[in-house]
Amino acid sequence: MLKKINLKNKIALVTGAGKGLGKACSIALAEAGAKVIILSRTKSDLIKVAKIIKKTKGSSKAFVCDVTDTEEIKNILKKITRLDILVNNAGNNRPEHFTKVKRENMEYLTNLNMKAAFNVAQLCSQKMLKAKNRKKIGGSIIHMSSQLGKVGCEGRNVYNMNKFGVEGLARAMAVELAPYNIRVNTVCPTFVETPMVKKFFKNKKFKSQMLDNIPLGRVAKESDVATAVAFLAGDTSEMITGTSLVVDGGWTAK
Amino acid sequence: MGLFLKDINLKGKTALITGATKGLGRGTAQAIAEAGGDIIAIGRNQNELNSLGNTIRKLHVRYISFNCDVNNFYRIKSFISKLKKLDILVNNAGTNIPESFLNVKKTSLETLLNVNTKAVFNIAQLCANQIIKLKRRQGSIINVSSIFGLVAGQKRSVYSMTKFGVEGLTKGMALDLAKYNIRVNSVCPNIVLTPRTKKYFADKKYNKYVKNSTPINKVVTVSDVATAVAFLASDASSMITGSSIIIDGGWTAK
Repeated sequence: MLKKINLKNKIALVTGAGKGLGKACSIALAEAGAKVIILSRTKSDLIKVAKIIKKTKGSSKAFVCDVTDTEEIKNILKKITRLDILVNNAGNNRPEHFTKVKRENMEYLTNLNMKAAFNVAQLCSQKMLKAKNRKKIGGSIIHMSSQLGKVGCEGRNVYNMNKFGVEGLARAMAVELAPYNIRVNTVCPTFVETPMVKKFFKNKKFKSQMLDNIPLGRVAKESDVATAVAFLAGDTSEMITGTSLVVDGGWTAK
Repeated sequence: MGLFLKDINLKGKTALITGATKGLGRGTAQAIAEAGGDIIAIGRNQNELNSLGNTIRKLHVRYISFNCDVNNFYRIKSFISKLKKLDILVNNAGTNIPESFLNVKKTSLETLLNVNTKAVFNIAQLCANQIIKLKRRQGSIINVSSIFGLVAGQKRSVYSMTKFGVEGLTKGMALDLAKYNIRVNSVCPNIVLTPRTKKYFADKKYNKYVKNSTPINKVVTVSDVATAVAFLASDASSMITGSSIIIDGGWTAK
């Protein structure tokens, strides 16, 4: 009756795999038995992640690449035999008040969080469809969204726009890819203990404001999010598509 | 427990399940027991409670059953207040009487409000108080909702009213119980093939409606839902509260 999280014989690709959530997801998927293709711009980060995966007796293959470069992604996909799971994770944030958002920051965030997310998802879907038995073995795409894909927040207007967009994309992809048994979902974490968030939390006032907004009174751990991603990646969630796992300690329930 | 991947493990936890003898309740009891949790089953059929006990005890966990109607507030209250262990509630008992809005009988309305709303509220309140009294320091409550807690369906006006209500209750409870580290979530399945829904599926028109409404061309199984409930019951979801896992093959993504 209980389906265990088991990704043996699956090949997964994770973008932004060098740090934070991408790193945690890559390791968690490998722990669940998947072979993981890890992508990042920083070679030294990839080497570290690959080492941890090897230590936990998992299997990975690393590619240095910039996800905004579609040609690079295409080339990498040519080098892998099959793809079953995509964790579309690469993303960034540059908080600014709406009236002060610099044009270059809006361009940068939108190109990364939306345009690259779309292109990577499209290319990976096409790769998934190359497997003749896809309908039987299924596929799973998980977009790394955010609680800010569900509700607004001060100084997060561009990020809000990007992540709400990803939520819309996930639903549309879910409907269009369902005939091929490829499921598409998002994970919406609250603030997670990652290097990116640690930087924001150096501002004590901001940190206490944010913690006040999380009913459970703590930030999420990387393992909380990585476990949710692994749950969505395999057959444990075979009838879950076009929806979100909200890992936010109650932030959006208010 | 790996580095970043958390297991669905319920060893040492005790779960109370209402409507435990049939369908989703029975499957959930089995899944929780498979994850190592002890089971307290509430149902109205002694033979079925006994047969569930035989199944559960084979999994080497403890099993207690209580033959009682969930509407019987005082019997339920007295039972729950005597429990020595309680960590998880699966608030599952529910029913449906499909009727067109214009023809809903007063008795149908009363029945659905009593079972799906009032009993759900009362049992959740009693269990939350007991978990706090037992100083368990954490808990998880899962309300079994439905896609009709999110969208409407034909001849489902009362059912939708009660299930939308459960969705609201879930979020309200999550906020009030967060400080006790009791998480509250719901699962929203599409129409699952169970003894109760078998008669609906026998109708060809209904069968076609469900099929056409579900982008992933499969019927949701009891195991799909039971796995999601076990995930929410366990520490694998320790930052998920006030939220819903939608198991609908994409029904509500459209």
